[in-house]
Amino acid sequence: MKNICFHFQINQPYRLRTYRFFDINKNHDYFDDFQNSYLTNRLAERCYLPANEMLGKLIKACPEAAFSFSIAGSSLKMFETYCPQVIDSFKELFKTGRVEFTGSTLTHSLASLHNKSAFLEQVRLQETLLKQFFDVKPSSFCNTEIIYSDEMGEWLHEAGYTVVLTEGAKHILGWKNPGYLYCNPFCTELKLLLRNYQLSDDITLRFEDKSWDQYPLTAKKYVDFLNGIDHTAPYLNLYMDYETIGEIHPKESGIFDFFDTLIHLLTASKNYRFILPCEVEKSQEKISTMHAPWPISCSGEEKDTAEWLGNEMQQEAFEQLYKLEPLYLNSTNAEAKKNWLRLQAADHFHFMSTKWLPQSAVKRNFDVYPSPYKAFINFMNVLNDVKIELEK
Amino acid sequence: MKVLMFGWEFPPHIAGGLGTACYGLTKGLTQHNVEVIFVMPKTFGDEDQSRIKIINASEVEFDARYWKEHLFEHQVSFIEINSQLVPYIGLDDYYHIINQLKSDVFQSAESGQKLRYQFSGRYSENLLVEVQNYALVAAELAHTQTFDIIHAHDWLTYKAGIAAQQISGKPLVVHVHATEFDRSGEHNINDIVYAMEREGMLAADAVCAVSDFTRHIIIEKYGVPEEKVFTLHNAVEFGNKEIKRTRPLKEKIVTFLGRVTFQKGPEYFVETAKKVLKYDNNVRFVMAGDGDQIQHIIEYAAESGIADKFHFTGFLQGDDIETLFGMSDVYVMPSISEPFGISPLEAMSAGVPVIISKQSGVSEILQYAIKVDFWDVDAMADAIWGILHYPALSEMFSACGKQEVHQLQWANTAARLKEIYKQLLHL
Repeated sequence: MKNICFHFQINQPYRLRTYRFFDINKNHDYFDDFQNSYLTNRLAERCYLPANEMLGKLIKACPEAAFSFSIAGSSLKMFETYCPQVIDSFKELFKTGRVEFTGSTLTHSLASLHNKSAFLEQVRLQETLLKQFFDVKPSSFCNTEIIYSDEMGEWLHEAGYTVVLTEGAKHILGWKNPGYLYCNPFCTELKLLLRNYQLSDDITLRFEDKSWDQYPLTAKKYVDFLNGIDHTAPYLNLYMDYETIGEIHPKESGIFDFFDTLIHLLTASKNYRFILPCEVEKSQEKISTMHAPWPISCSGEEKDTAEWLGNEMQQEAFEQLYKLEPLYLNSTNAEAKKNWLRLQAADHFHFMSTKWLPQSAVKRNFDVYPSPYKAFINFMNVLNDVKIELEK
Repeated sequence: MKVLMFGWEFPPHIAGGLGTACYGLTKGLTQHNVEVIFVMPKTFGDEDQSRIKIINASEVEFDARYWKEHLFEHQVSFIEINSQLVPYIGLDDYYHIINQLKSDVFQSAESGQKLRYQFSGRYSENLLVEVQNYALVAAELAHTQTFDIIHAHDWLTYKAGIAAQQISGKPLVVHVHATEFDRSGEHNINDIVYAMEREGMLAADAVCAVSDFTRHIIIEKYGVPEEKVFTLHNAVEFGNKEIKRTRPLKEKIVTFLGRVTFQKGPEYFVETAKKVLKYDNNVRFVMAGDGDQIQHIIEYAAESGIADKFHFTGFLQGDDIETLFGMSDVYVMPSISEPFGISPLEAMSAGVPVIISKQSGVSEILQYAIKVDFWDVDAMADAIWGILHYPALSEMFSACGKQEVHQLQWANTAARLKEIYKQLLHL
């Protein structure tokens, strides 16, 4: 019997409008409301609402099915503003009892790559929001882009988490199999559920790839893939952006039918059991440690953080951003504080990436800048204004 | 493989980028074992002939009447030369010359008499006479020289190219370094130049454009079938000389370098300067170059109240350009229409971050440059501000830009050209 864990991530950043240097100290209106509203509604229509509906029906038809989500607080806030029926739809789904909301950062932040306090601030604020929206307190955690390191694991344990979802990165695992449960070497109570990225990417990256030798991917074929992997490994963790269903792969690609059939096949099979991350907490099995001395993520082949902090611009923007942390802590300007948090979104750094001809096809959608330089200049202009506001 | 190539200028005696491009291209071709006979109206004797053979058209004896009649049979038309034109000058100068000219320059010679024509090789008032006599020399050369293919650079030599093509029956490649639309703008097109450009492009077996930007103009505005128009990006050749960075002033320096003509967008540079100076007094703007708009721009800058921070250097050459690049913190090219644009590459080679207009050919091949629409002065000002205030950006541009331009090699461009030759020769 294999435990199968489906986890969906949702994040859309507050996109910045074109903010010129002559706006600095004059105008504190940084966000592109039109764009943010348009994209939220587009995603709600194409993905979140129909996908929630499908999962609700699936849970009704196959009560053992279960799904886990991490929804960045900034996305929840955008739903609330632009498309509140999405919140209702998630609440509805949550009522089934077969859905978990894990902890995450508030604004899809990369703070964990900078320092503990900024990171835990994000985590804490997200907990408040989850309490407010769904009345839950998460015990499992899914960081931005499933970034993880030993140190972060310790921080999270301190913050009360017992399970962390991260990447089954080959260069860290070596000969070890991502299909087992692992724990943090310095804090063995913290359990790690590792993503099987090949099988996850088969859906997110390759579902519509006509040059792939397995195209077209049917649910039946996919179950054959799952049956084909090591039987002894007890876990199979599939994490993906929720936008995979309906946006990255539009409805016309057959992605909804694929999921529908897949869940039916898996629940009908005696070989699989759906689990939620929080259920792993109580597992008594003997587990081995996974050592992640430096941060891993789900990015590219390298599974490192170069996508966000790979060039000088990104590093400069990152440093300048977190230099403001003391100002944030001392400021009473709620608006400026909120904006500082929003600027932490990994997407802003992704837009500055100079990995030419980016392979990360999934994340490049909705890029609002014509070049990484414009992304950098725009971000820095906004950051300078936020700084002035925090200093006031 | 041997090419008979017609040009108008060759280093060191050049008026624009055409000669430099011809030099780089011929050098690249010889690296790929393509022999080049380079014909130009007038040589000065100090051209680099180490790799190619240069023919001075002024020294070629030809039977003008014979070739004229002969070419006429081949439907090569000769226009009556009583209209005068000079490229690379502004409209004001142009009409000035027109008014001064007399229409008595039509020449003819006795039948059977061989003569030489002393070309000036400059962009002079006699340009059309020179263009046509150049075609007669080309016919003579096509008859006496052995070669496989003909290659003509820019409209001044197209007629020569066509003449050589008609006499020899060899394929003709015309190379478009600029079009009349780049020189004169949409609404001031000179009909004669346009007609000669179009005639050359249509007669050619292949047309090379220095950018996709130019290729598009050729297809759209000249009606040339797109399957015979190829983009052949220019490259650039640098010496090993390291340009010294100096910082003579406490202010940062933002530079414009180029002919001060309408098409180069100098006005947008002033407009941008105004925006930046309003918020940052620690910047100086430098406009290096001369042209028919200079008077206007000087007045405009003065009117705008930024004259204390906006400087004019006049026309610069050689070492002075290097010194200026060495001082510059940003280089801006706001061209309205630029077929290629080599000077941003020179700036990058000197480690200067560049901002270029999207309406330029060079923007197609550069990654480490900020690209803006020429009219978007807000974006241009913001880009300048960004480079001046966010050091990570200028440092990255400085280091990566240098690397990037040094990868642009004429040998690569020439290799592509050789493929086009091969295609035409069915090799």
